[in-house]
Amino acid sequence: MWQALHEELAPQGLVIVAVALDENLDTIRQCAREESPVTLTYPVLMDRDHLLAEHYGIVNIPTTVWIDEHGRVVRPPAIAPADDRFRDFTKVDSSLHHAALRRWVLDGVVPLSDAEIHDRQELPDADVQQARAERRLAVHLLRRGQDDRAREHLGAALALAPNDWTIQRGSMPLRGEDPFGQAFFDFYESWEAAGRPGYGA
Amino acid sequence: MSALATLIDDDREVVVHATTGPDTFMVTADELEGATGWALKPEGLCRDGVCVPVRNRDALAAGGGIDLRAFARALGRPVAVEPEAGLAVLGEAPATLRGNLDSLVAPPFTLPDLDGHPVSLSDFDGRKRLLFAWASW
Repeated sequence: MWQALHEELAPQGLVIVAVALDENLDTIRQCAREESPVTLTYPVLMDRDHLLAEHYGIVNIPTTVWIDEHGRVVRPPAIAPADDRFRDFTKVDSSLHHAALRRWVLDGVVPLSDAEIHDRQELPDADVQQARAERRLAVHLLRRGQDDRAREHLGAALALAPNDWTIQRGSMPLRGEDPFGQAFFDFYESWEAAGRPGYGA
Repeated sequence: MSALATLIDDDREVVVHATTGPDTFMVTADELEGATGWALKPEGLCRDGVCVPVRNRDALAAGGGIDLRAFARALGRPVAVEPEAGLAVLGEAPATLRGNLDSLVAPPFTLPDLDGHPVSLSDFDGRKRLLFAWASW
């Protein structure tokens, strides 16, 4: 996945940190093993409560955020696939992102002005924040085996954030839906009809 | 009836005593302050020298307890509660998040790696960092 870029750019000073917005540790462990023929040598962190999504304004995956040496965001969350396997859906050319990343790491060229960064940020409103709280409550109820109560709160989250992928698609495994099956295509169509919101390329 | 409840606020999970009913989730004022840092004072809800005025004090506080929904409303924060399960999640206020995002300062975080060891963004201070959010879904 990002292992090749990590090996190329770590000696130049870049740190890659992967964060899994996922409930299932075993699945993530397996994905991390399968993603590369060699062991991943950058950190993979678990974010079952989607804290990164809330604090960084991330509404979909795979998403990258660039942070400079001084702790400043120089590229806000944007869809950034490791390769072009799903390009029909993402409509993002991964090589452009990788080229921009090399320019930043090697030559210090930042890709966006502050105004452009602000334009591309996904700012939360009260509904999305309520949806995130309901989703989080639901996953804690699921961990306690309180499935019926969890379903109610997931339902509230889904209604409040109809175009947030971390809430819509991210909850499919929790609802017994296949995130690569019919539920995904139904969501993809309604999201596309809404104008592909929150995709900040 | 008073029972133990779990209050989740950002990256903290605190067990508190709560009196719950279908429409209430009352936490003792002392424990709520311990969990969130916010204390009820004559001038309003206060933390770190900043006070937020409370419009409807009677809805917020009664008998030494503070209603969690009214507390969240006063601070402009979302809250999701399941009184019977004794579980509540406080979210961050949209206005606070917007201010943080606007500053372009990368929000700090600490999360466990796949072996459960905590890793912080600040572990890599002074270096360029690429955060990569992904999932199995």
